[in-house]
Formats: sequence, C-alpha cells, structure tokens
Amino acid sequence: MKNPSNPTQAQRPELPQVNPRETLKTLAVIAVLVLAFMNFNSVIDLLVNILILIYQFVGHNFGIAIILLTALIRLATWPLNAQQMKGAKAMQDLQTDKEWMAIQKKYAKDREKLAQEQMRIYRERGINVFGSCLPMLIQFPILFALIPAITYAIGSYPLSILKLSKSLAAFGLQDVAALIPLNSKFLGIDMGLPERTLIFGVSVPILALIVGLTTFIQTKLTMPPANPNDQSAATGKMMGYYMPIMLFMFSINYASGLSVYFVISNVLSIVQYAMMGKVNWRNLLPGGKKT
Amino acid sequence: MQKKKSIILFVLLFALVLSGCTGAVAWPGLSTSGDVAYLAHTSTVYAVDLKTHNLLWSFSGEKAGFTLFNTNPDMFIVPPVTTTDGLVVIANANNRHMLYAVDPKNFSAIDKAPTPAVRWKFNQAKGLWIAPPLEIDGLLFAPNSDGKIYVLDLNDGMPEKQAVRTIEVSQPGKNESRLWAQPITDGERLFITSLDKAVAAVDLSTYEVLWRVDLNGAVPGGVVLGGDGALYAGSLAKKLERFDPLTGAHQTALETKGWIWGTPVADGDNLYFADVDGYVYSYNTAEQRLNWEPVRPDASITASPLVVGDQILIATESGGIYSISADGKVSLWFQGKEKSKAYTTPVFAEGLTLVAYLDSDYYLVALDQNGKAVWTFSGK
Repeated sequence: MKNPSNPTQAQRPELPQVNPRETLKTLAVIAVLVLAFMNFNSVIDLLVNILILIYQFVGHNFGIAIILLTALIRLATWPLNAQQMKGAKAMQDLQTDKEWMAIQKKYAKDREKLAQEQMRIYRERGINVFGSCLPMLIQFPILFALIPAITYAIGSYPLSILKLSKSLAAFGLQDVAALIPLNSKFLGIDMGLPERTLIFGVSVPILALIVGLTTFIQTKLTMPPANPNDQSAATGKMMGYYMPIMLFMFSINYASGLSVYFVISNVLSIVQYAMMGKVNWRNLLPGGKKT
Repeated sequence: MQKKKSIILFVLLFALVLSGCTGAVAWPGLSTSGDVAYLAHTSTVYAVDLKTHNLLWSFSGEKAGFTLFNTNPDMFIVPPVTTTDGLVVIANANNRHMLYAVDPKNFSAIDKAPTPAVRWKFNQAKGLWIAPPLEIDGLLFAPNSDGKIYVLDLNDGMPEKQAVRTIEVSQPGKNESRLWAQPITDGERLFITSLDKAVAAVDLSTYEVLWRVDLNGAVPGGVVLGGDGALYAGSLAKKLERFDPLTGAHQTALETKGWIWGTPVADGDNLYFADVDGYVYSYNTAEQRLNWEPVRPDASITASPLVVGDQILIATESGGIYSISADGKVSLWFQGKEKSKAYTTPVFAEGLTLVAYLDSDYYLVALDQNGKAVWTFSGK
C-alpha cells in the first residue's frame, strides 16, 4: 500500500515485480545458450554421433537418418516451440487488447510510465516478455551445429572424415572406419552435394525450390491474423518473404542433406502448429487473410 | 523503413552465420614445377617463385554468374599438376566440378593481381575433384569422386574438353566409389585406389579394369610400387596391403596402430608411411619386416613422409615438422605457429623443404637443410 503522507514513496515509480519462475526460466535458457556456444564442438559431436547411430539403425540410409534426426530435434524442442507459439500468440493478442491500446494512447509521451504499465499487464496476465524469442534463440546453437554435423557426417572432403572420426571417438561409440564411405545417396540424390535435376535439358534445383516453398507455406500458415495496427505482424509478413528466398538461395549451393533438414523441419513445424490449433489455413488463400 | 533495414540485416547475418558454420573441410594442395611452387589454398591457387619467393600469379576460378549468397565458393585443395605442354591443371573442388588448365607463363606481371589465361576447361564430372590427375603420353587421367577416371586428350586443342574415355572404377550398383588419390602407372597399367575400400588396375591399352580387390577399409591415399615390385597401399582398416601388379593377388603386409591416410613412400627396399594415430613406420619390403618400432612424433598424421637425403621428414597435425633418422630417432625440425596444422605432404624443391599450413598466419614456409625458416608466404 502506498502511503500518501510520504511524498518520497508516493513519487517513486512502481517497480515491476519479478516473477521468480519466469526469471529462472530465462536464466536457464541463457545459461544453456552460453554453455552451448562455449562447448560448440561438443554440440557438433553429439549431433554427429546421433546422426551416425540413426544412419546405422536405418540400414545405412543418410536421407532417412537426416529425416529422423530432424524429427528428433523437433520432438526435443517441442515444449520450447510450444512456448514460443504461446508467447507469440499472447503478444499478438495484446496488440488488440483494449487496455493495452488505452495505455499506449494515454502514456504515449511518457515512455517510463508506459513501460511500467506494460510490465504490469505482462505480470497480471502471466506473459513472459522473452517467451517468444528465448525458445527460438535456444534452437540457434542446434541449427548452427547441425550444418557442420551433416557436413562432417557425409564426409565429402578429407578433413570432414577426420573430424567425423574425432567426433565419434569423443563419445567412444563406434569405429567409423567400417562405415566409411558413408552412403550419401537418398532417392538418387547425393546428400553431400547440391541437388540438380535435368528437366528438358535445364538444370533445376528442385529440392531448393521445395525448401523455399515449404518455408513460405510454413510462415504463411503460422502467421497470426493480420491487424493493420500491429507492427509485429507487418514484420512477420516481411520475414515471410525474405526467409524463403534466403533459404532457397542457401539450399541451391549447399549439401542437399541440409535441404532435407529444412523441408522436414518446415513440415513438422506446420504439423505442430496444426496440432495446437494455430494454423491459419486462410492465409494460403489469396485475399483470405481476414478472419 | 528502419524495421525493414533491421530485417534485411538479420537475414544477411543469419545467412553469413549459416555460411560460416562448416569451417575448413580440406587441407591445402602443394606441388612444384621447376622453380615455381603451386599452392592450392582454400579459394585460390598461388604460383610462388622459389628463388625470389614472390607471388607470380594467383587463380581463383572463373566468375560463375550471379550468386546472392556465395555459399558455394571456389575451393582449391588439389595439388596443381604441370603437364608436358607447360600448362598447369587446376581442379576446383567445389560443387561446379571444374577442371582448368592455365598457362603459367601467360599473365600480366604489371597487373596488381596477375591471373594466368585459361587454356581449356572440363566440367563433365559429377563428383568433387579431390585427387590430382596424372598425365601419360599426352592423355590426362583425372580421377573423380563420382567413381570415374576421365581421360582427356591434351593435344586436341579444344578449349572445352570432352572426355575421350571414361573409366568406371566402381562396381555396378555401388555408388560410393570416390577416387581421392592420384593414380600411378607402370607404363602398361594404371593403378588406382578408391574410398569404397578397393584398389584396382586398369589396362592402358584397352581402358578396361584388369583387376579390382575389395578391402576391409577405405583407401584415401594412393598406391606405391615398392622396391620388391609389389604394389602397396594403406587403408582405414589399419593395414598396409600388398598387391601383385599383374594379378591383383593381395595380402596384408602389416597391421598398424591407426588409419593409414597418406600414400606410402618407397625408397629402395624401404617403405615409409604414417598413420592418423601419429605413428611413423619404416617397412622393409624385401625382408617383409619393420626396420624399427613405429615412432610417434606428437600428433595425428595424414601426410606422406618426405625423404630428403638420409632423413625422413613428416608433418603432423600439431604443425610440427619432424625429422626421423635412418635408425628411427625422432627430433623436432620445425614448429609452425600455435594452432597451425600441417596435413599436407611437404615438397622438396630447389634445396628447400616446402610446408603448407592450415589455420596459420602463413600458408607456406620454406625451410633450409637445417629446418630453419628461410621465408614464408601468406598469400600476398
């Protein structure tokens, strides 16, 4: 309770109360991120070992191994993704909330007060400010580690094979000599090289096109209903165009094993959104954005 | 507008991080011809004058059109090969699978970055170029990671070469017959190793595979003809294998402690080779026994030994160059910079021992007969 007779206390801005649970979560995520980047090679080694174990388990099929590893990663990060979706949705909902809009208008010229009020609303509604971005951040080390992991495991170059042997030796799981060379072919595509298919004499990067398409569809489907006043929706919309192009360009030149990862990851992301009832199928239809 | 810029920046940063995730995937390729050293290091081939240790020219491939994110950069790791017509054959180990022949004498010395003229190129291979080609009587035998040896006619005058023959080394139905080592010849046959655990011989008059022996481990290095007339190759199954060049009849000559990566080197009756666990071996082919117990300088070894006079030089992953005497005494001859790695086989030319480095300030160091650095080359 404020004491109006005490002017010092009355003038002091109300500090947002810290939610210990959320703070712990945030600190845990940051700790994991720091540890992951400090021991980046260990993350790579771990992924290489899992990939090779799956490769052996599925009868030396690298494509299937990548698909299963992707599924495994999506499964392991399922709660994080769910939290990210939940956090993003909560933040999205706030943009149309009457109280939220009222404080934006009321304290438009008082940034400090606005921040306090925003924190109050976050607290009252149990929204973690970092709820939508921290889970995404924690997946970055996995993605960054997955690229060298796939590159080493495929062993298209001499040093990759040496690194593969060291990665496997680090966990002492198996003697890689018997496995080399790994069967990098999947559906007639060499997972260690960028895919090109000759169509009427023209070399077409079909897998890269599928990466771009699935990324576009995934972004579209998982984009919340657009609100003209919502800046984050506009940002999401722009990302929806940039990301597919970027991943398409990336997939054109990189090992097709990575393209398989992107495609499967996109598909599983759509599945997860669908299971959580957060897919906006209307977004795929022209002019169907209004819900 | 600000938001748009932030997104573009994020996307570019993301692409940059993704592109830089893999790090180095191969070590430099080094060769010499006369008084010029050719160093294939990451994205460039350098020609260095051994007398002046100046850069003569460099070659970074031809422009391949517009690329938004250059995630498929030129990659030069194969030791360049000088042909009898004076051209230098350069293999690009990126995904465009291009083989170039450049004229080492045709470049403008007054240019800031002189580049030799491309005389011909070849792009029919489907796999990566990891092995250097071999010239035999005006024909170039170029082994590729797609399991084929492409035979090119060096005298056909074509700027866009077509393979006159393609030799399929892999077994039908086998996809992983990557050819990573330079073949050798005895004049009548071509001997080649394959990563799909095989060694094969090709008849040079018919281009047919004469014999093919399947082993227990991949063979990333090449074969060598020993003083006893037999062929020798090391494998990842930790074995030194012996073959009859005529029939392919094979037996294991020696079991080793680690993978044998580099090609063994023959010097009279002796065969010198090393393994990835860091051991160096001296094997007497006439008596079929080790000359001395394997010695371990300090770290993993992928390079082949270099015999210079009465000493054997070996490059290790730690960047050390070790000298091993005829009776197996090891001493550190030269140590590269901290964290530098020497995976490439050193080359001896013009009285100097040349060592190529990875992860070092300098790409190349020239050592005198005492192991003292005479000069270094850092790509400039």
